[in-house]
Amino acid sequence: MNDMRLIERAVDMDDIKISARDVQVYYGDNHAIKDVNVDIQDKTVTAFIGPSGCGKSTFLRCLNRMNDTIDICRVEGDIHLDGEDINDKRVDPVQLRAKVGMVFQKPNPFPKSIYDNAAYGPKIHGMAKNKAELDEIVERALRRGAIWDEVKDRLDAPGTGLSGGQQQRLCIARAVATEPEVLLMDEPCSALDPIATAQVEELIDELRQNYSVVIVTHSMQQAARVSQKTAFFHLGNLVEYDETGKIFTNPEDERTESYITGRIG
Amino acid sequence: MNQEHISSAFDRDLEAIQALMVKMGGLVEAAILDGSKAVTTRDVELAENVRKGDKVIDDLEERINEEAARTIALRAPVSSDLRVVLSVLKLSASLERIGDYARNLAKRTEVLAELRPVSGPDKALKRMAKEVQRMLKDTLDAYVRRDAALAEDVRQRDEEVDEMYNALFREFLTFMMEDPRNITACMHLHFIAKNVERMGDLVTNMAEQVIYVVTGEMPDDGRPKSDETAFISGET
Repeated sequence: MNDMRLIERAVDMDDIKISARDVQVYYGDNHAIKDVNVDIQDKTVTAFIGPSGCGKSTFLRCLNRMNDTIDICRVEGDIHLDGEDINDKRVDPVQLRAKVGMVFQKPNPFPKSIYDNAAYGPKIHGMAKNKAELDEIVERALRRGAIWDEVKDRLDAPGTGLSGGQQQRLCIARAVATEPEVLLMDEPCSALDPIATAQVEELIDELRQNYSVVIVTHSMQQAARVSQKTAFFHLGNLVEYDETGKIFTNPEDERTESYITGRIG
Repeated sequence: MNQEHISSAFDRDLEAIQALMVKMGGLVEAAILDGSKAVTTRDVELAENVRKGDKVIDDLEERINEEAARTIALRAPVSSDLRVVLSVLKLSASLERIGDYARNLAKRTEVLAELRPVSGPDKALKRMAKEVQRMLKDTLDAYVRRDAALAEDVRQRDEEVDEMYNALFREFLTFMMEDPRNITACMHLHFIAKNVERMGDLVTNMAEQVIYVVTGEMPDDGRPKSDETAFISGET
């Protein structure tokens, strides 16, 4: 594509961060994800789109083994992060989730101070030797979460007292505090107003410089705005995965076309 | 893509702007035929009708622009829907230009009617205009039927129009060299021929837009071109 934005973005779109091969997910007898193969690039925002129940969130949760917590859920296939199998027995899921952070649909700050929200991960992973180091980590995280200026004078205030958009950015700051390499976002803006949404989207674009971001969204406009690559899921299949500009101007698959133009899922 | 949108109002919006464009196309077809008929039969009254008709064409274009802007703002169309809106904008802009050329033919009728007749080129001019009108009709049909093959056929046919123009150019030169009293009329007639040739180019652009709507890609430039007049001199 000769899209200017893609040329600009193409610069940092070559390294593969996560590689998934023949991934199957079953919830009991229900085959929820079927033969998904996908390479997610580093320093790129990848959007997963598709109708409700298409498997996009389920697949996202495979990427940091969140599905382990569901008893009836069974994951098959290979998922490699930087060439390492994340489902290997030797991989500690807690360590994995420090590397592959997650932000959820509803802002869920801990019922603690703003400072403690950002400091929680670094503390349990022993990232700081002393208070000064921890202060530094917290400030860096809150800056990356694009919320530092708004909260620097009230770090002791409860995180739950912030507005919805601020809470979500605090959660993003909390997720990036552990210096993850990948950030998974499951509908991070669906509970936010348009201004807060724009702020989070701007933040996502900034985060792209340091992380590989994977975002699940129901808003196709959001996928179009923030991502460089888009994957369309339908009935548990990965139907099409391509540059976002291509998906939204001239997709290959009829089902993708139907979905993005609002003609059924 | 024949499937309907979940939002039927979106379908109605897209259909409405396309219907306006096709309606505009019909008026422009008539303007080409009437304009060429007026000028070749020196029918001043018909010429006046063509000039008045151009106002309607211009108004339609403005309405299409407004409706298309509205659709983009309110519906945020993507993919094939976006191509429909973009193409309607471009097609209507080309139609408006063709309408202007038709009005220009009509405008020259009055002065030609007062000049001594130049026999010969009238028939060729009329044939040329008829061919352009047919190309336009086929382009609009191709649009409505989403028929890229027919649009490609139109694209190729522009060469014939170019050749007709080349032949007329030579003919005008001959007439003017034969008798300088023909010069004024021939100059007007040459402008007319050139305008009809330009209409053909615009119809060709439109055909390319149709291919874009259907396939999502602009055709590669594999079109024969044969405007030779840049190399013709009256010297022998």
